[in-house]
Amino acid sequence: MQGGSSGIVYGGLKYQARCIADVRADAGSTTFLAGTLSLKEENEVHLIRLSPAESELVCDGLFYHPNEIWDLKSCPFDHRVFSTVYTSGESYGASVWKIPELYGQSNSPQLEKLFALDDHMGKIRCVLWWPLGKHDKLISIDDRNIFLWNIDASNKSAKVISQGSADMLPNLRGGAWDPHNHNSVATITDSSLHCWDLRFMKKSNAIEHAHFRDVDYNPKKQHIIATAEDEFGICLWDLRMLKHPLKNLPGHSHWTWTVRHNPEHDQLILSAGTDSTVNLWFAKVGTDESGPESPSGSPTREQEPLLNSYTDYEDSIYGIAWSSHDPSLFASLSYDGRVVLESVKPYLQRK
Amino acid sequence: MATAGGAAPPAMDDKARRTRDLLASFYNTDPSAAAAAAPSPARPSPTAASASPLDSINSTSFDPDIYMNVLVQQSNLEGLLQRHVKMAAEIKNLDTDLQMLVYENYNKFISATDTIKRMKTNIVGMEANMEQLLSKITSVQSRSDTVNTSLFDKRENIEKLHRTRNLLRKVQFIYDLPTRLNKCIKTEAYADAVRFFTGAKPIFEAYGDTSFQDCKKASEEAINLVMQHLQAKLYSDSEPIEARAEAVVLLKQLNFPVDNLKSNLLEKLEDCLLNFQNDPTQASIGDISKTFRAYLIIFPDSEKRLIELAQALFSNRYETVRENLRKRIPSIDLLAMLRSLWEDSTSIDEVIPEAALPAFSLETTRDIIRQHIATAFLHLQNEISDVLVRTPSTSNEKLEESQLQTAMETSKIKVLQGCIDLLQEFHRLIDGNTELLVKLRDLIIDWVQEGFQDFFQKLDGHFHMLSGRSKSFSQESSGMESVQIDKVSTALVLMLAQLCVFIEQTAIPKVTEELASSFSGGGTHSYEYGPPFVPGEICRLYRSSGENFLHHYINMKTQKISKLLNKRFTTPVWIKHKEPREVNMFVDLLLLEFNGVVSEVKQILPGLIRRHRHSDSTGSTTSSRSNPMREDMLNRSNTHRSRSQFLENHLAKLFEQKMEIFTKVEYTQESVISAVLKLCLKSLQEFVRLQTFNRSGFQQIQLDMEFLKSSLKEFVDDEAAISFLLKEVNNAAHERCLDPIPLEPPILDKLINAKLAKIKDQSPNMQ
Repeated sequence: MQGGSSGIVYGGLKYQARCIADVRADAGSTTFLAGTLSLKEENEVHLIRLSPAESELVCDGLFYHPNEIWDLKSCPFDHRVFSTVYTSGESYGASVWKIPELYGQSNSPQLEKLFALDDHMGKIRCVLWWPLGKHDKLISIDDRNIFLWNIDASNKSAKVISQGSADMLPNLRGGAWDPHNHNSVATITDSSLHCWDLRFMKKSNAIEHAHFRDVDYNPKKQHIIATAEDEFGICLWDLRMLKHPLKNLPGHSHWTWTVRHNPEHDQLILSAGTDSTVNLWFAKVGTDESGPESPSGSPTREQEPLLNSYTDYEDSIYGIAWSSHDPSLFASLSYDGRVVLESVKPYLQRK
Repeated sequence: MATAGGAAPPAMDDKARRTRDLLASFYNTDPSAAAAAAPSPARPSPTAASASPLDSINSTSFDPDIYMNVLVQQSNLEGLLQRHVKMAAEIKNLDTDLQMLVYENYNKFISATDTIKRMKTNIVGMEANMEQLLSKITSVQSRSDTVNTSLFDKRENIEKLHRTRNLLRKVQFIYDLPTRLNKCIKTEAYADAVRFFTGAKPIFEAYGDTSFQDCKKASEEAINLVMQHLQAKLYSDSEPIEARAEAVVLLKQLNFPVDNLKSNLLEKLEDCLLNFQNDPTQASIGDISKTFRAYLIIFPDSEKRLIELAQALFSNRYETVRENLRKRIPSIDLLAMLRSLWEDSTSIDEVIPEAALPAFSLETTRDIIRQHIATAFLHLQNEISDVLVRTPSTSNEKLEESQLQTAMETSKIKVLQGCIDLLQEFHRLIDGNTELLVKLRDLIIDWVQEGFQDFFQKLDGHFHMLSGRSKSFSQESSGMESVQIDKVSTALVLMLAQLCVFIEQTAIPKVTEELASSFSGGGTHSYEYGPPFVPGEICRLYRSSGENFLHHYINMKTQKISKLLNKRFTTPVWIKHKEPREVNMFVDLLLLEFNGVVSEVKQILPGLIRRHRHSDSTGSTTSSRSNPMREDMLNRSNTHRSRSQFLENHLAKLFEQKMEIFTKVEYTQESVISAVLKLCLKSLQEFVRLQTFNRSGFQQIQLDMEFLKSSLKEFVDDEAAISFLLKEVNNAAHERCLDPIPLEPPILDKLINAKLAKIKDQSPNMQ
């Protein structure tokens, strides 16, 4: 395919990196946060903004972060707040940070640590904000437990409200918070996916015998999730019918690491993986699928769900993020620290 | 008249008319009526006013003065003179006409008087004659009366005598009846006998109790004998059909319960048919058709029943054929059966065309052949799947040498030979020249083509089901298959992949060729989507299925290894790892898995292809390895000037890795093995990246990789890619290590040699 020739490259990250997040709360421009993963050097968080001319990505702020960053999420209602999960040696930590006022100068001021989520004993996997806006709760997941926090940004404090334990399950890997229902969270382990009801901290339903790397809720349709599979592709599921996936879209030649729905056009799905490829999918699910597919079956089925495969990467890709400011843009972060911004407009118009 | 002679004919007409009118008025008693009638059809006058006085000369209202005045006024002298002449002539004419009429009348009158006179004289003599006649007639009447009275008594006597005589004759007939009947029986004139008996029957009924009793009894006995004879005649097949038919008619006349007879006979026929059905050698269809014809003539009203019988016979026989079908009889036998049935049906059809047997037969034959074709395909599919399922399950655990290979070969042969056998079978179906098959030929061709299309599609679906890949298939056929899915052996998947290739490349062209040579034509159905068998479509299907299976195989293998690696990398605490003393156990497990893959692949996939690898490797492994790297560095160095040298190297290597790792998998041993290896090493690298190591952990990885490097050489030719990937793993561990100091080469060598020696020690024990 034509690859990333159209993409805008940001080469400011000097070390390996896994995490990139869209700054959803920044309504004015397309902004991303990316954190580096370097064992020995001093790690950085970059605030990357698309220049108004939309021709280049500029570094809007560079902040030192004490440890290597394994997970980074931007606060959906305050563009200056974000959370990270980090390790130093064998200890894990998770914190919520505030970007200090810059006043024009961008020479690496210190991040302000709002509070640390330090009730965890195990390996912290990720921190989840409720994706759609202001919500005073926060979720953190380690390899055994899931914590629900009540946060108070003004008092710079966080308290554990409740805690769920994964018991006998294999280690938890990550999760996603249902945007349609803020009592529902999906977590993934090596071999299964579980939905949690946060009110009782109980697992409700599960998909077994699958190898998940990532999970993402459909932002428009309730009960629909996309999962990234070890088996070289993504799957779409209806949480009410977990026996078989709605769709199975194989397209990666190694692990699929992450999957993301477009915030506006929920049929557009991005997946990225360790085969150094980003795939753009067009996958209709749910009610609008059963209608046209049954009478005129083959033509709609024939339609290739893979819109494009971006292959111009040099290393595994662990991070992708759609821009919520301009939903036709997404940024991908490969392990070598290269951020590439691509537009999906050419493929949208073809639809 | 002379002057008027030159005038035009209408003038003549005028004159004649006037004359006639005049005469009419003369005879008419009512002159006014004549006057009224006469002028009405008068000729059209030129001018009504002037003409009226002139024309009214013949009317009663004629006024001579006015006439004169008008005439004088209107006409000139010459005209007047002419009129005068004309009028004088008319008058003269009228006079003569009048005279003539008078004379004629007079003549008539005279002749009438004469006639009356003659009549008077004739009538005078008649009176006397009439009176004479009257007296004579009276005398005749009286005499006839006397004769009549004298003869009256005698006549009554004669009439009585005559009646008695008639009665006596009848009685005589009845008394003679038994003998007469017996005589009839002797001469076999049953028809007469029956006629006699039916004639006497009313008398017997009326007076049977009286003196006729004996006679009645005797004649009834006789007639019973007749009946028996008739029945015997009816039942005997040797009698001519007409005689039998006559017997039935006679019996019917004797009020014998013919319906019973008929049903008896038909039951007999049914038995006979049943016998025929069970053992066709006993009777020939010719006999049966003769019987049918006879019964048809004997009992004209039994046609419906006969049709039912015939239809039942044939449907039963076809049912037996169908049952045979389940036993999977060869086409030849089936064909023989169908052909004999068809012939039978045509011969019966000659007798009772209303039963529409040929149509029924044709219909049924069509169904049966269709079913035959379908079952043949189904059997083939089952056989193939049997071959596939049976062999790998036995060789699942202990991979005996070449067992998979033989299984592979058997299944290949099964598919090809099965298809060819089927074709031959079907070929026999259309080879015959019988009328039946000619009718069905096109249909059969279509079915065979359709059958192949369907067969290959179904087989593909079945393969998917066997492989457990297709979730939709397992949904459809729940239960048994879903259990199978869990224990689908990887060898089976690989065999399926290879079988798909085989079908695509060998079986389908072969089948297509055969079809084209012997099953061309057809097309009685107008297929909207072209011919029923579309080899291209099937090939495409199998190509994609084959690729799917191959990928699935690789997936299954890498998944398994991935689990192993996962356990290896998530369980130990790497950051507190102890100093490496020996190569880790997991390497053994890994090598065991690889061995499994290799053994499976070597047996199932074709083992080529040296030249392939050479042509490839000269391009990619050595020369291209350095070239793209440099080019890349040159290109990239402009854009990423800020990078450190380490990353630059890293990047360049990754670029090369991308070229090599995820290549298209081919159906060769090398390709599949190296694909599995590469994917596993890539997974290894990814697992390493997720951990943080201390120095010892790093050294352990280094040691393991070094050992793998020497061990993997024997598996795969693409050494460069493997060693590169191993180096990648090392690099990743290096990156993720807090204190990356590698092992000293001597120690490394020592540990590896120790491991190799250990393996060597073990291997003789194992074998």
